[in-house]
Amino acid sequence: MYDATIIGSGPAGANAALEAHDLGLKVLIVDEQRDAGGQIWRVKSKSILSAPSTEASIKGDALRERLKQSSIEVKFETRVWHIDKNEEKNWIINLVSKDGSHSVLSKALIIATGAQERVIPVQGWTLPGVVGLAGATALFKEHMMVPGKSTVVAGSGPLVFFVASEVIRLGGSVAAVVSINGFSDWIKALPAMVLNPKLLWQGIKWIGDLYLKRVPLYWRHGIRSFEGLGHVVGVNVRKANKKWYLRHDPNIFIAADSVCYGHGLMPSIEASRLAGAVHTYEPALGGWVPFTDENGRTTVPYLYVCGDNAGILGAQAAPHRGRLAAYAMVEDLNETLPEDLLAKRKAEKKLLKWASIFGKAATGLSILQPGAGGLISKQTEVCRCEGINRLEIEKEVKTGALSPNAVKSGTRCGMGPCGGRFCSESMALITEQATGKTRAEIGLPTARPPLRPVAMDEIAKDLNYDDLPIPGVSPL
Amino acid sequence: MNFKFDIAIIGGGIMGCETALRLTEGGMRVVVLEQGDIGQGASGVNAGTLSMQIKRVKLMPYAIKGHAIWEKLGEIIGFHKTGGYTLAFNDREAELLKERMMLKKEAGANISFVSLNQLKEKEPNLANKVVAASYCPDDGYANSSLTGYYYRTRMENAGINYVEKFKVTNIRQTSDGYEVSSGENLIIAKRVLLACGGWMKDVAAMIGEELPIRARINTVSVTERAPKLMSTVIGHATGLLTMKQKPNGTVLIGGGWQGKGTPEEGRGTVATDSLIPNLQLAKYAVPKLSNVRIVRSWTGFEANVPDFYPLAGALPNKENLYVLGCVRGGYTIGPYISRLMGDFILGEEPEMPLFDPSRSFESA
Amino acid sequence: MSKEPAPPIVRTEIVEFSFDGRKFSGHQGETVAVALLRQGIIQLRDAPNTPAARGMFCVMGICQECVIEINGKRKEACRVPISSGLIIDKVKY
Repeated sequence: MYDATIIGSGPAGANAALEAHDLGLKVLIVDEQRDAGGQIWRVKSKSILSAPSTEASIKGDALRERLKQSSIEVKFETRVWHIDKNEEKNWIINLVSKDGSHSVLSKALIIATGAQERVIPVQGWTLPGVVGLAGATALFKEHMMVPGKSTVVAGSGPLVFFVASEVIRLGGSVAAVVSINGFSDWIKALPAMVLNPKLLWQGIKWIGDLYLKRVPLYWRHGIRSFEGLGHVVGVNVRKANKKWYLRHDPNIFIAADSVCYGHGLMPSIEASRLAGAVHTYEPALGGWVPFTDENGRTTVPYLYVCGDNAGILGAQAAPHRGRLAAYAMVEDLNETLPEDLLAKRKAEKKLLKWASIFGKAATGLSILQPGAGGLISKQTEVCRCEGINRLEIEKEVKTGALSPNAVKSGTRCGMGPCGGRFCSESMALITEQATGKTRAEIGLPTARPPLRPVAMDEIAKDLNYDDLPIPGVSPL
Repeated sequence: MNFKFDIAIIGGGIMGCETALRLTEGGMRVVVLEQGDIGQGASGVNAGTLSMQIKRVKLMPYAIKGHAIWEKLGEIIGFHKTGGYTLAFNDREAELLKERMMLKKEAGANISFVSLNQLKEKEPNLANKVVAASYCPDDGYANSSLTGYYYRTRMENAGINYVEKFKVTNIRQTSDGYEVSSGENLIIAKRVLLACGGWMKDVAAMIGEELPIRARINTVSVTERAPKLMSTVIGHATGLLTMKQKPNGTVLIGGGWQGKGTPEEGRGTVATDSLIPNLQLAKYAVPKLSNVRIVRSWTGFEANVPDFYPLAGALPNKENLYVLGCVRGGYTIGPYISRLMGDFILGEEPEMPLFDPSRSFESA
Repeated sequence: MSKEPAPPIVRTEIVEFSFDGRKFSGHQGETVAVALLRQGIIQLRDAPNTPAARGMFCVMGICQECVIEINGKRKEACRVPISSGLIIDKVKY
């Protein structure tokens, strides 16, 4: 039995774990990756023996080193597939690794699963060669690879410029940058960005580099469609207005063998939903977020959230949120918080406040504008797993399917292997447009395990038939 | 909202909607009140099994009629008549199977016992551990996910009023009928039918009726698309496994393993310690499932009373108050028993007897 | 083929593996998807309902678009490492 299990070891989860451990708790970290760092400080692939360091790799290495020095128990390359409770109200956390499935018991649970990418589907987005923007950063950080010879980078928020500059740094070529944000959106975000001169300077450098390399930069443009047969060969781009509506202009075609495409980050809430927490819709925080107090306590006892899955505030805010969640957990488990920690908590809150201003400004650039849903054309496959297009979803809504569960049942949208993780957002956008209901009214489909697909023999070990707990025979 | 209806039906599942359709045919003005979405409770999340072999002996005539209704609907509800095998893995189960299937056969189900060779020929991927099996050619399944779509569309076409997200908070008997409210919204109707499955006990209590209802929390799981592993519905002598592979290759695994939660708390949750044996049993029956990935497990509430027979009839203490539910095999039998219920409310003699809700409940 | 800068990126030794019956090589321990991408192979499977090709999309093991089969088991190509002699098949439905 652990005092605390922490799912995710990015800057939020790792700092929560370190703090809880320092305060004397028996802590377990579980992470899908082979080491700590999360997406932002993603650990390099085993296949890279040495490479030039970057700021992210230095910070990540420092975090990984701190965890190694502590005696915190870690389970890497391990996925959580179900979160359950036993009769004593302890958490049962079901894990699967290459050794199969097992479960651990924990008094408290901190979820620090970070963010997931939001990608608004447009015609052709399923073509090989199109990858997510955040996905591309994984390719850079983990593998030091670029997605192709000639890459278009498109979408919203700061990630567009980071990805473009990374493609160039790693020896690739950027065919164009297509930002749905206008330059004026950035100017508006500037006052908040100034609070963090280092990051602001980084951003200016990314954009400056692109100008220097004469990369075509399409401000306030959106992707109308991806072209190609079997793989992407280019994109059709159109001028947009500041509400993200594309103009009815002729397409501008840009040839490329790869495209990085995304619209900011959404909190990764599947684990906190499965654990039963109440969630609310907060566009400024990236979408649906667990409802919490300012310390990361959810509506479920002994369940805490920290980091981007609690609302997108970025890596600067994450360590503070992690430590605050750890204090809250210690306070609840021990029914008191010592004086010195009360002071520390106050200091962390202050730091978090500053970091949040910057984080919110960056997230603000990806808040969905009214034209977002209109980017999805009738024939666009919204559900990649089941091949369900916008028209089919609209038809279902017209028959009276007004909730995500109802649309899902009628169309199979969201019933495939990804579990709706890439289509439920678009399904809601389409429902919003078709019904005029708000996103909060539309809600979310019911959360169900497993959190990731798991093979039967990973969770169901071979049976000694006589051990099967047969609870009795059904009435005749 | 302040209309006068001949009847307010609480619950928009198969029972509520099908009864609404019958009553509308009979000339009544009906309103269906559903706390969530139409057909998204047990009616929409059950495993969709239409198996005669898992029906209770006494309910067999109803099941045969219900099955025929689904069969007639065909593709619109994803109906497939594949045949089905029920398996026994040891002598005790073989004994049980023999005894039970004989009685079901006598009750009218087209059930026979098959040799292991016949079984192997039809289902080559079954484990070699089967010691006995029964077969029913009528067994099959429909796609319960389509329940909501189907009944919404039919009710629209019939001009039936239905209100979703109408969670009943109070029912009051008036001098000439009932007031059913959800918060500030009020529906006035001459009659009320309770057809709200797992939620029935609480709703009945609002009008002072105590019904001995418990809710079972059945678990169902589905795999991703897999190569062909089975072509019929596979069951188990104890009833603890139902399994079929859909035309798209996904395998649906049920069997009534119990999850957690109560209808009052929400939709129920999957319990690790019952999901695992459910999947183990499935894998034991079809070993090649080992490699296949589970993509989703969920739960649905199945209401029942201590004798595991339906509640279908008038409640004795109040005029014009009816109840329909706890059918045991409600997906298969639902459309039929609802039509009987409709006839009863219309004052006509039902084709088969209903199940008096005021009977004494001794465990069968 | 994707360009990458000259050293100092040092990678592990090259090993051979097969995908869909063809021989490929890659650095020991890198993911299947990356090893194939390096050699210009980005079509990893066909969609189940349409003949359209699919490839790596989310790069984090969420979207399930890059699934391949190893010993009859489906795995995410963006997460599974290659090793010498590994036999990888396209997904069969």
